[in-house]
Amino acid sequence: MEGKRSSSQRSDLLRKIREFTRSILDDLSIGKSPVVLIDRFRNYCTDNTGNCCCSSDLSKGKEILTLQRECHARRLDVLLRVLLIVQQLLQENRHGSKRDIYYMHPSVFSDQSVVDRAINDICILLQCSRHNLNVVSVGKGLVMGWLRFLEAGKKFDCINGPNTAYPVPVHVEEVKDIVSVAQYILVVEKESVFQRLANDKFCNKNRCIVITVSTYFVQPSVKINFLTMFFCQGRGYPDIPTRRFLRLLVEKLHLHVYCLVDCDPYGFDILTTYRFGSMQMAYDAKFLRVPEIEWLGAFPSDSEKYGLPEPCLLPLTAEDPELLSDKRKTEAILHRCYLQQELLHWRLELELMLQRGVKFEIEALSVHSLSFLSENYIPSKIQVAEGV
Amino acid sequence: MADLCRSSTFFSDQNLCNADIIGSSEARARIEVAVLNFLKILNSPSPAISDLPLISRRWSNSRVNRGLLTEVSCIFLSHSFCTRSLMRPNAAKAFVRVWKVVEMCFQILVQEKRVTQRELFYKLLCSSPQYFTCQLQVNRTIQDVVALLRCSRYSLGIMASSRGAVTGRLLLQEPNQETVDCSACGSSGHAISGDMNLLERMVMKTDARYIIVVEKHAIFQRLAEDRVFNQIPSILITAKGYPDIATRFLLYRMSRAFPDLPILALVDWNPAGLAILCTFKFGSIGMGLEAYRYACNVKWLGLRGDDLQLIPEESLIPLKPRDLQIAKSLKSSEILEENYRNELEVMVQSGRRAEIEALYFRGYNFLGKYIAKKIVQANYV
Repeated sequence: MEGKRSSSQRSDLLRKIREFTRSILDDLSIGKSPVVLIDRFRNYCTDNTGNCCCSSDLSKGKEILTLQRECHARRLDVLLRVLLIVQQLLQENRHGSKRDIYYMHPSVFSDQSVVDRAINDICILLQCSRHNLNVVSVGKGLVMGWLRFLEAGKKFDCINGPNTAYPVPVHVEEVKDIVSVAQYILVVEKESVFQRLANDKFCNKNRCIVITVSTYFVQPSVKINFLTMFFCQGRGYPDIPTRRFLRLLVEKLHLHVYCLVDCDPYGFDILTTYRFGSMQMAYDAKFLRVPEIEWLGAFPSDSEKYGLPEPCLLPLTAEDPELLSDKRKTEAILHRCYLQQELLHWRLELELMLQRGVKFEIEALSVHSLSFLSENYIPSKIQVAEGV
Repeated sequence: MADLCRSSTFFSDQNLCNADIIGSSEARARIEVAVLNFLKILNSPSPAISDLPLISRRWSNSRVNRGLLTEVSCIFLSHSFCTRSLMRPNAAKAFVRVWKVVEMCFQILVQEKRVTQRELFYKLLCSSPQYFTCQLQVNRTIQDVVALLRCSRYSLGIMASSRGAVTGRLLLQEPNQETVDCSACGSSGHAISGDMNLLERMVMKTDARYIIVVEKHAIFQRLAEDRVFNQIPSILITAKGYPDIATRFLLYRMSRAFPDLPILALVDWNPAGLAILCTFKFGSIGMGLEAYRYACNVKWLGLRGDDLQLIPEESLIPLKPRDLQIAKSLKSSEILEENYRNELEVMVQSGRRAEIEALYFRGYNFLGKYIAKKIVQANYV
């Protein structure tokens, strides 16, 4: 079983829901305006003195909601309606997605984000994780290698085909009987790199477990009334089931975890998501993050070390009409408190990236030899990391 | 009679251009033949630099083939060529790009390896920087090579991927492998391999009565979890959005192997959902020579216009600008039958769309009941 929060069983949650609602009713019945306190959480801030308490899991202050402010009243209205739906899900032991919940009261829930915030608030109030509320999302994770486990009675025997991708289960709480002969876990940012490793039969020579999230999708594009389709790749930000699964493997197997991301600000951001958690899920970071994860590559310094050809070094964008430019994003990441006091070697590499003004993708390492990644780069980096 | 139906195109199939799925040695042979032909003409008494004849992937070369005795229509490309010529001043680079990619693919095939499109981009960027500057150029050139050699990208050594998943009452067996029971694959279903050769050789068995194509991953996951395929004996298949070739190919194989099973699509009520249905149904020109094959007789189960009465007004959300573009391209494609065209018109006129999840307004059980009722009433078009 995953590390559980105490008292997050269904019955406990149903009791807490009743208690919460009763306290509001009690206040209203005596003419008192109920006050709802919602803890605030964050994974990092821009404090560089080392005095912030981001690394602790304590809440950083509370939001105070009262009925005396109209925006709060609406927020509480939404919260209570979502709570009612959650109560039904728990009572009937059914699952629903955030989108499903939105459509149950679309006129009140003017937007999806309103529902998302209510779900977060409820998790904080009831001190549980999202899946405890029976609110689920789709699974995007893929795993291969020297691993075997059960999920809800179904066998996942990855060892049977160590170069075949298996989907990471969505209901990670149902994962049991994990058996592994792996020596380490390798997390790769993109599905294309996972494909490369599978194609090279990486797991035949390397006793490990490889995890990624699916990043490919088909993008339609309309050009002069002509519908054309392209197979594209998106960013590899991990979904919640994959993060929970990784955490579970680390807890049960006590293996080293290495992370292979593109050498660009988004790759680095993905690494920090695995390690520290995302801001949106900060309230649950304790159960989602994997502090043991190490940055295997690609480092900016690798481009020289491994003789990456010049054309593969793409410039960091300085301006971007839609998103944050690469340079601004890198600067913002450098301000995060966890890079000020610890992880100085991460900081140095990131500063080097900014200084050089270039980025590169993992695929660039295959330019000279398609098997370079599997036969050279990864094994030599692992050797260094394991101190062999 | 069955044979007559199958041959209802009256041998006009000979006009159709296919991208064959071939092995590495045949792919190499085709490349060698192309090179030898080029050199022969260059070396001939009246030497010339031949143009490259590529199957034209223009709108003007596409036709709709409406089955006479079958219900399957598909888009096809005929033997109309466009050329890449070294002699045209602005097009010389495109000509050279084709040869560069052919060379790179040959090297990869000789090594008995595979490459992803992104890796191919970096290799070309480094070996021929004056000809390749972006991924899109590489993708287009790959499509040119497919049109030149008339074989699939996978045959050229480019790695295949699939987004698809299948679940339900289907047994799949790869040669010399264990049989996979798709109903026991959990809520994510069985992942569809990107390897078309493998898919071609798969043995399939079913006791289902319907095949349901699901647009969205979230809906597929819900239906799989609720084991809807047991209540309505069915196979569920999804591409999690716009379909990739492998998923379409598997559906096509299922339609051939189980011709009595109606194929029903469950998509959002919006132009994108209809475009996804149409891609499964008719094929698409979009991805070049490979994509228009594998058309299947897919029927539109839902969401359709007359389902909108089931959901409240507030559940309809505005169309995005992209939806309007897609609607326009669907209309101009001339492939839509009249009732689809009418539905599309209603969507555009109303300026709104509806997602399948909107049905949850009526409770969690409602989606299963909705599907069952529509199927029983044969309410699909």
